[in-house]
Amino acid sequence: MSPTSRMTGFARQLGTIVITLLGLLVLTFAIGRLMPADPVRAIVGEEATQDTYMQVYTQLGFDRPLPVQFLMYLRDVLTGDFGTSIRTGQPVINDIMAVMPATLELATLAILIGAGLGIPLGVLAAVKKDRWPDHVIRIFSLMGHSMPIFWTGMIALLIFYAALGWVGGGGRISDYYIGLVPPVTNFIVIDAMLAGEWDVVRSALNHLILPASLLGYSSSAYITRMTRSFMLDQINQEYITTARVKGLSRRQTIWRHAFLNIRVQLVTIVALAYGALLEGAVLIETVFSWPGFGQYLTSNLMTGDMNAVMTCVLLVGVIFIALNLLSDVLYRVFDPRTR
Amino acid sequence: MTKLVRLRLIATVSAAALGLSAPVVLAETPDDQLVVGFSMTNILTLDPAAITGKETVQVLANVYDGLVQLDPVNRTEVQPDLAESWEVAPDAMSITFTLRDGAEFASGNPVRAEDVVWSFRRLLTLNLAQASFLKTYGFTAEGAEQAFAAPDDRTVVVTLPQKINPQLIIATLGIVGPGSIIDSVLVTENEVDGDLGAAWLAQNSAGSAAFTLQQWQSNNLALLTRNDNFWGEPSTMRRIIWRHIPESQSQRLQLDQHDLDIAFQLAPADLAALETTEGVQIQTTPSAGFYYLAMSMADERFQNPKLREAMRYLIDYQGVNNAILPYFGEMHQRPISGGFFGLLDDPGYTLDPEKAKALLAEAGYPDGIDVTLRALSDDPFLNLATAMQGSLAQGGVRAEVITGSGEQIYGAMRERNFEMIVGRGGGGQLPDPDSNMRALIYNPDNSDEARLTNFQGWRTSFSDPELNQMIDAAAAEADDEVRRQLYADIQNRIEEVVAPIIPFSEVVTSVAYRDDLNGFVLNPSWSTDLATVTKTR
Repeated sequence: MSPTSRMTGFARQLGTIVITLLGLLVLTFAIGRLMPADPVRAIVGEEATQDTYMQVYTQLGFDRPLPVQFLMYLRDVLTGDFGTSIRTGQPVINDIMAVMPATLELATLAILIGAGLGIPLGVLAAVKKDRWPDHVIRIFSLMGHSMPIFWTGMIALLIFYAALGWVGGGGRISDYYIGLVPPVTNFIVIDAMLAGEWDVVRSALNHLILPASLLGYSSSAYITRMTRSFMLDQINQEYITTARVKGLSRRQTIWRHAFLNIRVQLVTIVALAYGALLEGAVLIETVFSWPGFGQYLTSNLMTGDMNAVMTCVLLVGVIFIALNLLSDVLYRVFDPRTR
Repeated sequence: MTKLVRLRLIATVSAAALGLSAPVVLAETPDDQLVVGFSMTNILTLDPAAITGKETVQVLANVYDGLVQLDPVNRTEVQPDLAESWEVAPDAMSITFTLRDGAEFASGNPVRAEDVVWSFRRLLTLNLAQASFLKTYGFTAEGAEQAFAAPDDRTVVVTLPQKINPQLIIATLGIVGPGSIIDSVLVTENEVDGDLGAAWLAQNSAGSAAFTLQQWQSNNLALLTRNDNFWGEPSTMRRIIWRHIPESQSQRLQLDQHDLDIAFQLAPADLAALETTEGVQIQTTPSAGFYYLAMSMADERFQNPKLREAMRYLIDYQGVNNAILPYFGEMHQRPISGGFFGLLDDPGYTLDPEKAKALLAEAGYPDGIDVTLRALSDDPFLNLATAMQGSLAQGGVRAEVITGSGEQIYGAMRERNFEMIVGRGGGGQLPDPDSNMRALIYNPDNSDEARLTNFQGWRTSFSDPELNQMIDAAAAEADDEVRRQLYADIQNRIEEVVAPIIPFSEVVTSVAYRDDLNGFVLNPSWSTDLATVTKTR
């Protein structure tokens, strides 16, 4: 590829991203304005008089025409101002920065578990295609995929928290430890380590392990399925047969040849699964009273906290655009054909 | 590695892993900390002038004092709080409060009459949610300067803007929110652009009660720490941790496991299960408001009183209270809260489809009618609507149930654009029948333009000038015996003119807590004082 055509390729990609972002902004604005929830009522309450209602209505700028409201929204977003949350009275961006570490903590451990489980199982299933390990793995991952996480979460709490007492219940730490550790990074495990509060570290890990395992199991289902099909594609190719004929062991052909060739695809699906975890932990966060992004988004939907909802939707969109971009870049780095 | 060695290794590692995380007996909350579970979804601010829900009242009751407080047991009694005494002027047009000596705010600033006056003026100037309590009795932002005065550091004079029973005003000042007294010095220091500290108070506290707000994280927790400057008996609790646990089952599990001391929002199934759980107690208390079936008189058919009357006989009062409302409601057929002044006995309506059919025929609908019936999609409203649909059908009222969110259900009611609704509401935070009457019956202007959405009478397009007059007269009357008679007359007139809101149950609140807590008394006005709670282990 010549340098100029590479440049136009890059420009085209940049253009696509800008258009996608603009579309996303229109969409979030529409969601914010069409939602069947009344943020003014949320603020003033059911018993408020009409003059109180109108006072807040005007304060929030709802008396302006919609196009004007959209332009104001666009101007604010471009200048990095995402508005103030009704619920907390804080800039939405600060709220999100405060809840994100809780979700990142959960999602990161979950994706480690998910990929650590899903990739080896996927490879094994491909190698043992149509034999019993393949069937067992298929059932195992089908269960992970199809059982509602809301339900498995409750059952797991009943078994491991209520009956066995092995893990902590809801929340990120036992409640009576709250406030003992000064927030530095907002990653509670790290903050507790920095403060040297080892009881709190233990409590935090104890609370993290169950929801992360459940999330990890559920995302491993997707990773297993994809790994298996990528692997099968490779195994059926001629170069594998050639390698075997040349005398390489079975293990070597699988891990040194076939696996190396699917690693880019794997990075992509793991990245996408991670993105899904960041916004898809809604149910598990509710069951485990986990104060993260998912819970923030749902409760703001309930209250009709428009600025917050719009920013959350925008953020999820941006995360996916970024992940797609990242996997594009990785393809270029790892796959010589695209260079 | 031989197979056997490998197996042994796996066994050892698993055993070690299990051992590490073996249960440490039971996780118990410490003696000097109280962990309370509830849903914080409705908490948008902790500014007492702007709060909207009972959950916020539950938190702030432990942070702010009022001049007076409402007795948790005898709900119509008013007790001293920051005011040690008060006196009503002979003409009943003003009340003089004398503040207790030596009370301080958590900041260490003294509680002065000036703070009290500032708090009430602020409430009316901001004109947010809690202002409606005082506005109902004629207080306004413009008149606030005149209505509240501080002749000296320990004296507060409240001048009534119109003729009204002073006891009503005293009780109103005992409600957390409108009655909360704020440290004006501290708040003024944190004022931004003349907002009277609204932004700062949303996240911080400036009160004088037993606890002070250390931290609030929306939908996560509110952390209260003991106020060392508190003028009263200090609490044995060093901290109160209010935790957002939206799931009833999670609350129940954590209560079971001793991780929670009090669980505020449990579903009936979980309460029923906890009833037999050792070490857990349940307390139920009457609360504010009613469950009701309402019709809109904007719908021409319901302007016919016979039709409204027919609905009275199409509610299975016993059935819904026994089957759907345990822990949520208790049978009640009058629009005045249980235990309140002047309440008459229930009129004794029962499900009587034959009588209803006869009334429908008299009204000109021998073949029955088709209606829509709105209800929230949450527990217990959906179940109530389904039950109502069944009993209404027995009398020929074919109801199509419409469910949805608060905005879709109560929003339609506020727009006066509905036919029938199963709802909840009706005042009662103020321990006086006037509170119920204003919420449910009173409607001084029935025009669409008036938009008196805070009056449910207006929402149902019901307006009876005579009842309005009677309610105003009863609120102004100072003589108890005369007043009692006036409320009896009002209740009889409501039955006679067939008001379109039919209460079938009074709201009750049920809370489960560990039985090693002492001194836990659930307050009907949601303002439970946790400073008196101790633990015995």
